[in-house]
Amino acid sequence: MIKKFIHQFASPKTYLFQVNKFYNYIFYISISIYVLSITWGLLFVPEDFVQGNSFRIIYLHVPASFLSQSLYAAMAIASVTYLIWRVKLAAYLIIAIAPIGAMVTFIALSSGSIWGIPTWGTWWQWDARITSTLILFIMYLGLISLHGSFSNYEKADKLLSWLVIVGFVNIPIIKKSVDWWSTLHQSASITLTNKPSIDPSMLYPLIGSTIGFFGLIICLVIISSKVQIIKRESTKSWIKDYV
Amino acid sequence: MNPIRKKRLYSILLVFLFSVSGISLILYSLNSNLDYFFTPTELKNVDIPSEKRIKIGGMVLEDSVQRYKSEISFIITDYENSINVVFEGIVPDLFKEGSGVVALGFIKNEIFYAQEVLAKHDENYMPPNLNLENDN
Amino acid sequence: MFDFAFKSIEEAIYMNGHGIYVWIVVTIVIVCLISAFGHYKIKLRELKKKFNESD
Repeated sequence: MIKKFIHQFASPKTYLFQVNKFYNYIFYISISIYVLSITWGLLFVPEDFVQGNSFRIIYLHVPASFLSQSLYAAMAIASVTYLIWRVKLAAYLIIAIAPIGAMVTFIALSSGSIWGIPTWGTWWQWDARITSTLILFIMYLGLISLHGSFSNYEKADKLLSWLVIVGFVNIPIIKKSVDWWSTLHQSASITLTNKPSIDPSMLYPLIGSTIGFFGLIICLVIISSKVQIIKRESTKSWIKDYV
Repeated sequence: MNPIRKKRLYSILLVFLFSVSGISLILYSLNSNLDYFFTPTELKNVDIPSEKRIKIGGMVLEDSVQRYKSEISFIITDYENSINVVFEGIVPDLFKEGSGVVALGFIKNEIFYAQEVLAKHDENYMPPNLNLENDN
Repeated sequence: MFDFAFKSIEEAIYMNGHGIYVWIVVTIVIVCLISAFGHYKIKLRELKKKFNESD
């Protein structure tokens, strides 16, 4: 039964029709959570005892940094699925996610740079965390331009999937860079194993803004994958009904 | 899983393994070069040519900051070893006694002449009044 | 934690001198999100239009 369900959902047609049902719910719920949490974090949470008000950038920076890595992981999962089972939808998702990943990584890098000016006293330093995130950004751009340079979609998909898998090694490096090397960037405040080193009153809006941002990015991935499906399946007869 | 798919899975794992081992070798060989700064203890154990530009990091020792006109001197410590630092210029707002600092400069006669001073803060966030409660 | 953290709106905008950094980041995030949604929405509309014309 599970197999049948996966097969059905993996067909671009079912995906398109199913996803349309949820899209509005996800969008309106996540945008309200995001706006509420950001307002809460920027205007209602007390300032930090060291960084003062500049710490409020955390509510925009952390969700973006978290998503920049999660989106790459999602691309890696899609790549494995495509390479093993040749699921077309997975291939569409890889190239649908890449530009959104690049945008999110850009937000993470620029918000981090701006946060660095008042706190560190510099906007850019080549420490391990910042450099590996810049590499992630360049990888996203490389994948996008590579896919665009092919005229044969199938070849492009295959090459892209392999490259995503090769580049996945960067994700644990970004994650662990603050532990493996000495960096200017502070270590993680929220980990799975330890109690968060951020006060609860500051933590709740951070969780909220991360969930809200996550939902908004899912919405972006959904419409971006819609574009890919309509573009690539344009010869199919059902597309006409859909459009 | 049918044999063809199994074969594909193995080749994916193999490629990923190659990528991981390649990167690990590079990172291993670069190891300490990837460190953003030296701690005062590490500084004791490595030979650094005088006047080579390096970064050192640690905490600003309490009661060690002295200002003379535009010049500021303080001690960077990791609570095991420490080093005297001299700097001329403006320090970031977060530069405080007892908080993290990274300085770029060179060593001459056991004194670190900094050309750039950056503040390094930790991963703890809390409101100011809560901090007072914890201190008392 | 539910009280307004500033004494006035001006202070909330100024944020003791850190306001400029905070509000620039807010602007970057908003601009990125709106332009991304807009970009894909326009692309979808163009694709659909192309289909309807070819009929």
